[in-house]
Amino acid sequence: MIGAILRRTGLSLLTLVLLAIYIFLATEVLPGDALDVSLSADEISQMPPAQLAKMKHELGLDRPAYERLGEFLLGAARLDFGRTVMTKARVVDIVAYPLRNSLLLAGTVIVIAFPLSLMLGVAAACRYRRPVDTLVSVGAIIGYSVPEFVTGTVLVMLFAVAWPLFPATITASTSDPALVLLAAAPLAVATIVIGSIAYLTRILRVGMVEALSTDFVERLRLTGIPEWRIVLLHALPAAVIPSLTAMALYAAAMVSGLVVVELVFAYPGLGQELVRAVTRREVHVVQVIALFSASVVVVLNLAADLMILALDPRTRRR
Amino acid sequence: MARPDGEPLVRCDRLSIGYAAASGETVGVVGDVSFTLGRGEALGIVGESGSGKSTLARALLGYLRGGGRFLGGSLAVDGIDVVAASGPALAALRGLKVAMVPQNPLSSLTYHVRVGRQVEEVLVTRRGMTRRQARARTLELFDEMGLPDPAAIATRYPHQLSGGQRQRVVIAAALACDPALLVLDEPTTALDKTTEAQVLDLIATVRRTSGAALVLVTHDLNVVARVCDRTLVMKDGRVVEAGPVAEIFGRPRTGYARELLAAALIIDASRAPGARSSTGPLLGIEGVGFSYAGKTWWKRTPADHAKILDRIDIQIGRGEVLGVIGESGSGKTTLGMLVAGMIAAREGRMQFEGKGLASTVVGRTKDQRRRIQMIFQDPLSSLNPRQTVGTALVRPLQFFFGLDGAAARRRAVELLARLGMGADFLDRYPRQLSGGQQQRIAIARAFAAQPDLLICDEITSALDASVQAQVLEHLLALQRESAAAMMVITHDLSVIWKIAPQVIVLKQGKIVEQGETATVFARPSNPYTAGLLEAATQASRIAAPSVEP
Repeated sequence: MIGAILRRTGLSLLTLVLLAIYIFLATEVLPGDALDVSLSADEISQMPPAQLAKMKHELGLDRPAYERLGEFLLGAARLDFGRTVMTKARVVDIVAYPLRNSLLLAGTVIVIAFPLSLMLGVAAACRYRRPVDTLVSVGAIIGYSVPEFVTGTVLVMLFAVAWPLFPATITASTSDPALVLLAAAPLAVATIVIGSIAYLTRILRVGMVEALSTDFVERLRLTGIPEWRIVLLHALPAAVIPSLTAMALYAAAMVSGLVVVELVFAYPGLGQELVRAVTRREVHVVQVIALFSASVVVVLNLAADLMILALDPRTRRR
Repeated sequence: MARPDGEPLVRCDRLSIGYAAASGETVGVVGDVSFTLGRGEALGIVGESGSGKSTLARALLGYLRGGGRFLGGSLAVDGIDVVAASGPALAALRGLKVAMVPQNPLSSLTYHVRVGRQVEEVLVTRRGMTRRQARARTLELFDEMGLPDPAAIATRYPHQLSGGQRQRVVIAAALACDPALLVLDEPTTALDKTTEAQVLDLIATVRRTSGAALVLVTHDLNVVARVCDRTLVMKDGRVVEAGPVAEIFGRPRTGYARELLAAALIIDASRAPGARSSTGPLLGIEGVGFSYAGKTWWKRTPADHAKILDRIDIQIGRGEVLGVIGESGSGKTTLGMLVAGMIAAREGRMQFEGKGLASTVVGRTKDQRRRIQMIFQDPLSSLNPRQTVGTALVRPLQFFFGLDGAAARRRAVELLARLGMGADFLDRYPRQLSGGQQQRIAIARAFAAQPDLLICDEITSALDASVQAQVLEHLLALQRESAAAMMVITHDLSVIWKIAPQVIVLKQGKIVEQGETATVFARPSNPYTAGLLEAATQASRIAAPSVEP
């Protein structure tokens, strides 16, 4: 048991290191270093070669790649990503608030979407092939297949333009307190919640339908055990266990969904910051955001694995 | 326990049940079934798959699987009319008055809940016990079920128990509320023969001590013979024969009951399989062993106890039929796969007609591959679903004999004819055939290669009794004609008795007994063989000696 946990955690750490190396290689070693990328072609053409070389030396870009990689990895381990090439601002400072804001958005979505989709999925499975189930299934397919920017735009048209309940774009600033920010972003939250509920409900419904048709559920019914006990204590865990991996994968997909939604609503999160950093060629900021979203995927998968270990006794070895 | 009014526990009168088919119409599954069951009586319901016996068993709890409907008649259990009963009335019935023991004990227990908790749940929710009382009672029940160390077992998860232990837990859960009727649906089909015997003994004990009536649904007459007083024989949803077990087994009135009985093992010297008739050695196996590689790469050599097969020596002569029997896990299928060259032996040597035989098909000559053929248990999964029967038969003919299309097709039609099938089968797909027809196609495919050695791995296990007899007849006829030797692997002793003059008995990868089938079956020298025979001859001991062929 402990061995299994250690093994999986170790593998996750290894994956993270490999990811960091990959991100470093992709952004720095490939043709054009941080400086080349940070400067536009015009700026480079106007700069005397000597000055360019001097800048490179100051930035340490003339050192061999493996040295810089080591420095990058050590920095990443200490959560220190240095300063931007042009403005010399600390990267961590640039990223901190957008990171908080995005986590806030994602966290809110999860807190709303998980219980709702659990309820919908269970309700649909318990009313398998009856009107409730059909309604939930059709709704889920629609919610899942419509892209976020469409859902977002429709919500804005309905609740901001036609019936001005909420602001169309977010007016709160990046460093506002969490609640102020959330209060300004109901449509952004709703957009991601709709897609998330649709996806999670689909997974859970299928899992529950399968769990409710197992032999052990039939035996419990024939023993006269109350239906709510069968559903909640026997079938639900059996439905959730195989769904966990798919849920972790979904949460990973949500990271990219966030970028779109943040742009649609001008939400001051990592997605916006990423787009800004790319257009301003702040390589280090892009690196941090890439590394962070990759870590989210790895960590969530690890969490799913550990939860399966905790819930499914068959995966544990004595 | 009988009530003064003398009303039987179960009164079933002209009961009919149907299921909604995909087309929307209702298909009858149980028709016009009538029987009564007194308190404490034991009734065996016997029939083949699709005979409606499991549906009838579930109906006793007022439960029909999805799409099922009562079409007519009445069924009263302990005074409750289950056909008309409402939800609450059925809730009062299920678990409390009638309890069910389903077929597969592993899938019938919730895999993520400790087994002790699963029995406690019944006691708490159905009998209104407190947690503490339920816990104590669960341990008592486990003890009564003969589970070793109940306290330790209670904390285990289902997958940590053996098949027999799981079934004991399921029976304990069923008995938790002292039901008046215990319905058992194929309770031992998923178990080994030795475990089956123990569980059946337990069921007999439970019946004596609890006074509960039993309804036992099975396809195996031996199980009925061991536990029940009366039996219903069902076919196509109808009762074709009913009465005391001894009477029906001794003097079956209908052809169907006779067919079922014929599938049971009857050791009768006058019909012993013939003596060894060989014209020289064909296959020799010396000291062959097999084991799976260790789980970790630094420990590849497995321990001795992990050996699937251990130092097996076998000789099969030309035209000889050798039976291989043993329980699941005894290594008998592995032995067949080794001879067929599908897996490589870890040690030992194999010889075919005096020449060395490579351990896998890759190393064998094309001629050797042709001469050793195999037939598998599940005909549907061993036939390519996208190929017609014709393609499946023509392929080996073209590959091994270089026949052109027309000649191969003519030969395929001949083969089909030998197996009692017309040329029109050539254009059908495996899914369009019945189980027995599929297996005959698989046999035809194997014989198309004109083999000298045919390995038959449980080829009748997936088939119903009546179909089994037919398939075996065809197989034997073809075998005699072609003089191919056969290695018949099965857990069904009656198959061996019918076709194999020689037999070996495998247990945990070792040969524990071998010799002429007539001798081994009449006087087994090993207790393991004796146990297997004991389990397989229950029906015949009740029926003998008055069975007419």
